[in-house]
Amino acid sequence: MSRDGVEVTNMGILQDLPSGAGHGVDAIVSGFERLGYVTDRSLATAVYLVTKLRKPILVEGHAGLGKTEVAKVLASFLNTRLIRLQCYEGLDVSSAVYEWNYQKQLLAIKIEEGSDSTVEEKERHIFSREFLLERPLLQSIQAEDASPVLLIDEIDRADEAFEAFLLELLSDYQITIPEMGTVHAKHVPYVVLTSNRSRELGDALKRRCLYQWIDYPSLEKEMKIVRTRLLGIEEKLARQVVGYVQAVRGLDLSKPPGVAETLDCAEALVALGKLQLDEEAIEETLGCISKSVDDNAKIRSTGLGKTVGQSMGEAL
Amino acid sequence: MNSAMIRAKGQWTDAETIVEFCRYAREQGLSTSVQETLAALEATAALDVNNSEDLKFGLRSTLCSSKDDWDLFDECFQTFWGGASAFPSRIRNSRKELTSRAKGRNPRSLMATGSGDDVSSEQDGSQAVAGASTHDRLTKADFSTLSQGDLAMLEQISLRLFKQMSRRLARRRRIGTARGQVDLRRTIRRSIPRGGEPINLRYRERKPRPHRLVTLLDISGSMSPYSLFLVKFLYALQKHFRHVDTFLFSTALVEITNLFRTQRLQDALQALSQKPAGWSGGTSIGGSLREFNQFHRRKLRSSDTLFVILSDGWDTGETGVLATELGTVKRRVRRLIWLNPLLGLKDYQPLTGGMSAALPHIDIFAPAHNLESLLALEKHL
Repeated sequence: MSRDGVEVTNMGILQDLPSGAGHGVDAIVSGFERLGYVTDRSLATAVYLVTKLRKPILVEGHAGLGKTEVAKVLASFLNTRLIRLQCYEGLDVSSAVYEWNYQKQLLAIKIEEGSDSTVEEKERHIFSREFLLERPLLQSIQAEDASPVLLIDEIDRADEAFEAFLLELLSDYQITIPEMGTVHAKHVPYVVLTSNRSRELGDALKRRCLYQWIDYPSLEKEMKIVRTRLLGIEEKLARQVVGYVQAVRGLDLSKPPGVAETLDCAEALVALGKLQLDEEAIEETLGCISKSVDDNAKIRSTGLGKTVGQSMGEAL
Repeated sequence: MNSAMIRAKGQWTDAETIVEFCRYAREQGLSTSVQETLAALEATAALDVNNSEDLKFGLRSTLCSSKDDWDLFDECFQTFWGGASAFPSRIRNSRKELTSRAKGRNPRSLMATGSGDDVSSEQDGSQAVAGASTHDRLTKADFSTLSQGDLAMLEQISLRLFKQMSRRLARRRRIGTARGQVDLRRTIRRSIPRGGEPINLRYRERKPRPHRLVTLLDISGSMSPYSLFLVKFLYALQKHFRHVDTFLFSTALVEITNLFRTQRLQDALQALSQKPAGWSGGTSIGGSLREFNQFHRRKLRSSDTLFVILSDGWDTGETGVLATELGTVKRRVRRLIWLNPLLGLKDYQPLTGGMSAALPHIDIFAPAHNLESLLALEKHL
C-alpha cells in the first residue's frame, strides 16, 4: 500500500495485504532499539499499525516513561521530519495552525500605496503565502516530499475547543484559510498524541485513534534501557539502581519516579564515580528520584538505602 | 467485509470471528463501535495473524481508547480465545454461549451491576467487578425525592452562576501588549499621533483562563440528609461549566466527572447508587484527600482552580492526615472553599476534630444547608 496516498480507505488496506507483515513488527522492535529506544512488542505492534493503517495513535501513561520519545524515535526510524506541537491551556488556532504576519502586511500596503495595481491585486498579494506564518499543524500537512511525524504533546492540557478542531483536522487532513482557500495534505502525517490523563479526552477523538498505554517497565526491560542509554555503566551498579527505583515505585509516593528518573540517577552515580549504591549514594542522588519534600522524607524513612544496598550486594 | 481474504491467513482469525470478538468485547463493557470493529479488521489484515501475541496487541490498540478499556481487554481476549496459543475450533461454540449469556444486558451498566439474581452471571467477568465491592457494602438509596419545582430552581441557580461568571470574565479581558489577536480599533487610535501610520500594534490579550472548579462531596452517613440534594446541585454545576471535576468520597474517593458529563441526571443518579463509594458509610476525609492528591493533583492549576469541599467535617480518620493533605491542596489552588451544612445550625461550632484541623487552610468557610446558602456560593466563584 502506498504511504503517500492522501486518502487511505479501509478497503484499500484490506485488498492490499502486505506480505510478511510479522516482519514489520520485528523491524520496528529492532529499528527502535538501534536508535536507543527499548520497546516491547505491544508498543511495536501499535506503532506498526500506525504506519500501516495511517491512524493517529494516542499514547498514555505516567510521566517520564518515554511517551514523547515514541514520536521522536519514529521520525528517525522513518527518516522523516518531526513536527511538534506542545499543548497548553489556552492554545488557540493562531499559535497552532497559522497566523498572518500583520506588520509585514501593513508595510506591504504602505509600499504599494503608490503603485497602480488594483485593489484586488493588492489584496491577493498581502494574503499570499509570503505573509503567512505557518504553525505546526499547517506545517504538518504542507510537507512536500514525505509524510512527517506530527507529535501533539500533552493534548489533555489543551481545551475542548482545540480538541474539536484537531478532530476535524485528523479526519480530513485539510485546513481552510478563509483568505486563501483550503490546503490539502500532500502527504498524510503520522500523528502521535500523548496525554497524561489530567482530563478525560473526548470520545470522538479517542475513537479516531489507536491507543497505547505505557506502564512502568519490568526489571528486565528497565535494565535493558539503562544499559542501552548508559553504555559505560557497571552491570552491578545498573542492577542496584534499577532495583532501588523499582522499590521506590512501590512506596506510596505522590510522584513515583519514571524511567527518566532512573536514567538521571544512574547517570549521576556514574558522574560521581560511585561503584555501588549505598546509603550515602542514595542520599546524594535523592534529588534525581524524588521531586518533593514529602517524598524525600518517605524514601528516607523506609531505610531503603540499607535494604537495597544489602540485598543487591548479596544477590550479586 | 471481505472475510475470505483474511480467512486465508488462518482459520481462527476470519473476519467473522473478529467481528464476533468485537461484539463480545462490547458486551463486556469495552467502548467499541463499528468504527473500532473496522479498524480491528484492518489491523488483523496488516498483522501476521499466526503470531497470536501480535494479534492481541494489535486488537488491543484498535479496540481500546482508555486505560480502563486497556485493563479490561486482556480478560476479554483470554475468555474469548481461551489462551495465547492457536485457537481451537470448539472455542467458537463456547463463544456463542458467552455472548448469549451476556445478551439483553446493557453493556454500560454491566460494569456496575453484576446483578446477583442472574445465575449465569456468576461465571462471567462482571461478577468480579461487583465482588470487589462486597467489602464496601453499599446502601442503595432512592434519589427521586426532590420535587420538580426544586429541580427547576436548581437549574436556575446554575444558570445564574454561569451568567455571572462569564460576565466577570468578560470584564477581566484587558488590552495588553502580549501576543494575541491584533486589536485594530486600538491600533488605529494609537496611530493618530504618528500621522495615521499603524506602527505600534495593539493586541487583544489572550482570554483569561476560565475558572476550574474541583468539588469533593462527602456522602457519608452524617451527610445523608444533604448529600442527595448536593449531588443534584453539583450535576447542575457540571452541566454549565466547562472545567468541573467532581468527586464523591466517604471512606474512599470516586470520580464522577465523566459519569455526570455523559449521562442524564436520572441515569447518572441511578448509576451512582451502584458505585462502591459506600453511600451513608463512615468518613475518612483525610484519606480521601490523600487519594485525591495522589492521583488527581494534576487537575489543580494554582492560578485558576477553585477547590470546594462539601462536608460536615466528621472525620473518623487521623486528623493529622487531613491537615497535611489539605495543606498540599491549598498550595495548589487559588482558593479553598469548605461548605459545611452544619454551619446552618444555630449553635454549631467548628470544633470537631476534623473541622478544627482543617480551618487554618480554608479560605472561605460557609454553610450549605439550603438553596439560599448555595446561592451565596456564587459570590465566591
